[in-house]
Amino acid sequence: MKPNNFKISLALAFLVALLFASSLALAASHTISMTAETLPNGQFAYKMGNHTSSDGATNNYPAGATIPGPALFVKVGDTVSISLTNNTSVKVGLNVPGLSTDSSEASPGQSKTFTFTASKQGTYPYFDDGSQLLGLFGAIIVDKTDGSVQSLVGEAGTITAVKRSDLKKEFVMFMVGSTFWGTEIRNGTQTPLWTNPTLGAIKDDAVRFHVLSVGPGHTFHLHAHRWPDETDFVGMNVDPNIIDVKLMAAGSASHSFTVKAGTGVGAGHWQYHCHLVSHMESGMAGKFHVVDKNSGETGNSIAGASPSGAIFGNASSEPGLVTFEVSDEPGSWFRSARADTIFSITKSTKSLEIIPPGSSVHFIMSDTNGVHTITSLLWPSGADDPIHGDHHTMPFSQTKAYRGGGIVKLDVPGLYVFTCKIHPYMFAGVIVDDPNTEGLDLGESIDLVTGVNGLPTSSDLATRLVRTFFVATSQNNWLDYTSSAPWHANYASVPVRITGGAVANLKDVLEARYGQNVTLPALFNPTTPGVGEVWINTQFEKTVGKTKPGTITVLDAKNWTIKRKIALPSINMNNPHNMWSNKDQSIVYQTQWFDTKLTMINRENGALLHNIQVGDTPSHVMTLPSTDDITVAINGENGVVRIPAGTTKPDVMMPTQGPGQTPANPHGHWITPDGKIVTPNINTSDVGIYDSNDGSIIARQKTGGVFPSAPHPIAIGVGVDKIYATNLLDHSINVISFDGTLLKTIALLADYDPISPTGPDTLKDRDGDGLVTAGVLPIQTPVDPTGRVVVTANTGGTITIIDTKLDKVVAMLPCDPGCHGVNFGAKQGGGYYAYVTSKFSNQLIVVDVDLKNPANSSIVGRISLVAGNGVPSDDTVSSLAGMGGQGIYAIPNIYNGWVQNLPDSWKAGLTSAQLNPVQ
Amino acid sequence: MVMKCKLDVDFLDGKLHNPLPQVMRRPGKQKCLRIVLITLFLLMMACVQVQAAGTATGELHKIELVAEKLGGGYFAYRMKQHLVSGMDGSNEQNITSRYPDFATIPGPTIVINEGDEVDLTLIHQFNPDAPGEDQVSVHVHGVHYDILSDGTLKYINMVKDESAVPALVYEYKWHAAAGTAGTWPYHDHNMINHNGAEDKGLYGALIVNKKSGSVDINLQGQRKAAPLSSIQKDYVLYMLDDTFAGTEIDSITGQQTYLGANPAFTAQQGTNVRFHVIALGTNLHTFKLAGYGWIDPGTNAIIGEKAMGPLEKHVFTVRAGISSVYKDTAFSSNLLGMKGNFNVHPQ
Repeated sequence: MKPNNFKISLALAFLVALLFASSLALAASHTISMTAETLPNGQFAYKMGNHTSSDGATNNYPAGATIPGPALFVKVGDTVSISLTNNTSVKVGLNVPGLSTDSSEASPGQSKTFTFTASKQGTYPYFDDGSQLLGLFGAIIVDKTDGSVQSLVGEAGTITAVKRSDLKKEFVMFMVGSTFWGTEIRNGTQTPLWTNPTLGAIKDDAVRFHVLSVGPGHTFHLHAHRWPDETDFVGMNVDPNIIDVKLMAAGSASHSFTVKAGTGVGAGHWQYHCHLVSHMESGMAGKFHVVDKNSGETGNSIAGASPSGAIFGNASSEPGLVTFEVSDEPGSWFRSARADTIFSITKSTKSLEIIPPGSSVHFIMSDTNGVHTITSLLWPSGADDPIHGDHHTMPFSQTKAYRGGGIVKLDVPGLYVFTCKIHPYMFAGVIVDDPNTEGLDLGESIDLVTGVNGLPTSSDLATRLVRTFFVATSQNNWLDYTSSAPWHANYASVPVRITGGAVANLKDVLEARYGQNVTLPALFNPTTPGVGEVWINTQFEKTVGKTKPGTITVLDAKNWTIKRKIALPSINMNNPHNMWSNKDQSIVYQTQWFDTKLTMINRENGALLHNIQVGDTPSHVMTLPSTDDITVAINGENGVVRIPAGTTKPDVMMPTQGPGQTPANPHGHWITPDGKIVTPNINTSDVGIYDSNDGSIIARQKTGGVFPSAPHPIAIGVGVDKIYATNLLDHSINVISFDGTLLKTIALLADYDPISPTGPDTLKDRDGDGLVTAGVLPIQTPVDPTGRVVVTANTGGTITIIDTKLDKVVAMLPCDPGCHGVNFGAKQGGGYYAYVTSKFSNQLIVVDVDLKNPANSSIVGRISLVAGNGVPSDDTVSSLAGMGGQGIYAIPNIYNGWVQNLPDSWKAGLTSAQLNPVQ
Repeated sequence: MVMKCKLDVDFLDGKLHNPLPQVMRRPGKQKCLRIVLITLFLLMMACVQVQAAGTATGELHKIELVAEKLGGGYFAYRMKQHLVSGMDGSNEQNITSRYPDFATIPGPTIVINEGDEVDLTLIHQFNPDAPGEDQVSVHVHGVHYDILSDGTLKYINMVKDESAVPALVYEYKWHAAAGTAGTWPYHDHNMINHNGAEDKGLYGALIVNKKSGSVDINLQGQRKAAPLSSIQKDYVLYMLDDTFAGTEIDSITGQQTYLGANPAFTAQQGTNVRFHVIALGTNLHTFKLAGYGWIDPGTNAIIGEKAMGPLEKHVFTVRAGISSVYKDTAFSSNLLGMKGNFNVHPQ
């Protein structure tokens, strides 16, 4: 080694040692005590107790618990010790991916200490792994020891180094669900800005943003500003990548950057928002307000609605926020974050909230595996008015189903009901109540998503919808056929203000109009046995071995006893919705409608064979009669997935619309005997007919016709040469030819007066056909194998029978609230039974279909779906026994096109007419 | 900032084709007066700004863009005219023939240099009888513009609805100031509601080239600089929720070829070609070009796939070697066949 080199080496070694020593000297230790708290709206939040640092400087923290939690600023090399005391009712931990591997949790009332070293520069989310989407998150910012922070793009485009001491403000902005949660840090003081705040800054001030996320992914965009992507471009000696949009990957993510406020663009209200279209449509935006220095404006930030603000039961001068958790739990699909408080008022639903005008409603998809929309079903007339209401946000909806949440401010008093377009029995009710009027404001009138405007809140339809809401969202309002007690519906006993300013007790009104303590009809078996088995999706039945609801109830049609319950706890089967089988009848295919999977089950023993990812929110499954290939309607997306027969992997998704067009979101498809796939496209209000060979679009026919918009086609029946499509919200059935031509529209509410208050004339023969019939909210609508009769299950609690020779309703039979699924099975000795399920009860109805005179079809059996002791099962029922009847499938499959492919052993039990249904 | 009152006789007479409240709330005369004042003020401001920034050496692009309604629920932008001149209007060239003469998805790719300015006039050509579609805008990313060129509604910018409407064009002014080089999306922000109709076809790309720059390219596993002028083809590739949509540009002539859904791109073997991938919609994606590695912008890293979310851009240059397939590897995108060919022809 040459002397010179030696000298350099020595000098370098000295330098390294010096740097090492100085970093050691600079490393601080932080001792922090925090608590986890419950906020007035039921959300959770972290709260700073005390923060001391060996280097002296700590922030002034808010006195209360905040979302996001306290921002912790430390430097590389610092040690951090956080003592967390849990004052909530759930277990709470403090995960810091990248810094800490401690995933332990503190039980309610207990404390835990989390210690880690801030080993690497960066911004890190800390959060509870479980309740993070309800507010338990915050940021730890680890800065370099030299005080430098992320560089900015200066006036003339130069990359300008920034010291933390140069920053006038810092913002922590968490992207969670479809909401920003913000905190401002200014001169060492942290101020909560809550939801979608207006962030204020003075032009040319250096401002640092810490964007973080937990849960589903996002992209962050700030208008008219740009910054270097946070990479070590200096160290790598490369030009920085200048960006204005940044991905926040699903799980947890962060991105910090510095801007010079308004540089090159000037003052203004510059929007920041998530750039996912569905998140934009669900309210995920705010403003970055840059003011000129001498403008006289302060550049102060303005906080948004907060969980501690004004909501029912929590008076405050600040705008408040109620939160609904979107859940796979039956009834509580939109569950208030303060569910227990709400239940104590309503004695029934947990899906109703009350706020004063100007407060907001917030949704978070925190307890679901599916995709959803959050869509206004009804709202007070005028809420979408440009002057009094907000036509930019009401009616609230999104073009495409998604993962995330939603937030919307409500100004106009009255009743708002939100639903999910994909799962249209999910309901959240919000009453915006003017505190200066007597009674809770339901409003003068409501507008419906179907284009019905100005419907008086005193009308039968309005109160019928309110009653439907109370039944659908309250587990304790469902019909239990195993109980000898009459059916009692629990309603909130509260004064409400309706049309004309009248004030009435809601419970009294509903009981007077729709009765109370109804004696349920007795159960009885059909006298003639059926053939084979009937598989029923008791979609809401809960079992001890899994967190998600739903079982399959297998009924022996020979003697009408329950043969088996299948819950599949090993895969946490989630909301089993619809079934079909292979041609051998040996494998049953099962969709999980609030999930992403198709499940294959051994028919003989109920064992799990395969659990296959098929796409978001698969609804219905059917085979192609020619090939036995499996087709699955991907209700949360935009196509029908095919799984070739004998395989366990989808090979293609046949799109239900053209490239880049609005997703069709097909629900209950059917297949014509010659292999055309027919889908009811709920999101685009049409029936699609597709070639199953090449996936091409043959026709798309608009549906509905009774109301102006949003008919919501949901299920298909296929006859010999006609297609029947039910429109859930249009209360109608379209009859369509195989080439897509509209032949007829059957209005199911022709005899109904929706406008007047409930009375003797609410339902009478208005169409002059000599019959009084009604089909409120029609769902499944199969045609019998011979093509003679259509049996439709109507959510409103009726079964309607259509004679296909006339294409009109010829009979109406009673059903339960939430009447939902229908399919045909063979009757011993010839003919068919239509098996009918209801979501909000635990009985199966058997209809004997009269093929000679369809008007004479009648109920011949009522069978309990509750399993007695000794029924084989892979799990133990814990609650909601037998409830949630939806998809239903009779084995053997006797539909034309499929029955011909049955194995001989199954054919043996059928008559020759049943084997050749279409003569 | 110039906002023109379109000389529509019916409109000036107060006889509107289209009795939409949107137009009725904004009487034309008043609007024109205000516009003239704003125009004068802003012109002065713009001059001051340009002088201060000392970027008067760039070019001025006068662009007329038309927003059209197509069948099938699609909307699209069409290039009506693109004139390029010196900042003082000298040496004006008409380069409109570089673009397709019909509305395309994605819309026209606007290619400019750092230092240039753009006067973009947007013309609304939907069915004037369709309520809810009475506003359309252009919101651009990346470059400089003042609050009146944000392309948003008053609901957001607190100043005015920055939209073309059936009776009025809207003019946006952009300044590709130093520090704004890169590829940026532009899209509608105002149709139907304050979120706009970017998901219905109203989007395109703005490419701001460095004046005399180079691009990073992966040569034998090393990051090397290649002159910008060596790029033979630019591919603009929008990555939607269920399809790609793209345009191929001959980088030498500037000629743009609309290729539509899941486009097949072509290149001569051994030439440098540049991909401009932009995501749009609700889904997250992972973009992959099989068999290729490229420089992740802002780093030395050579990558073969990139996770992306809506409105992120990812720009990279490769030397065309083998024919390949680009795709999105997300689960449903894969099943939907969301991919296209990269066809490399031997010299």
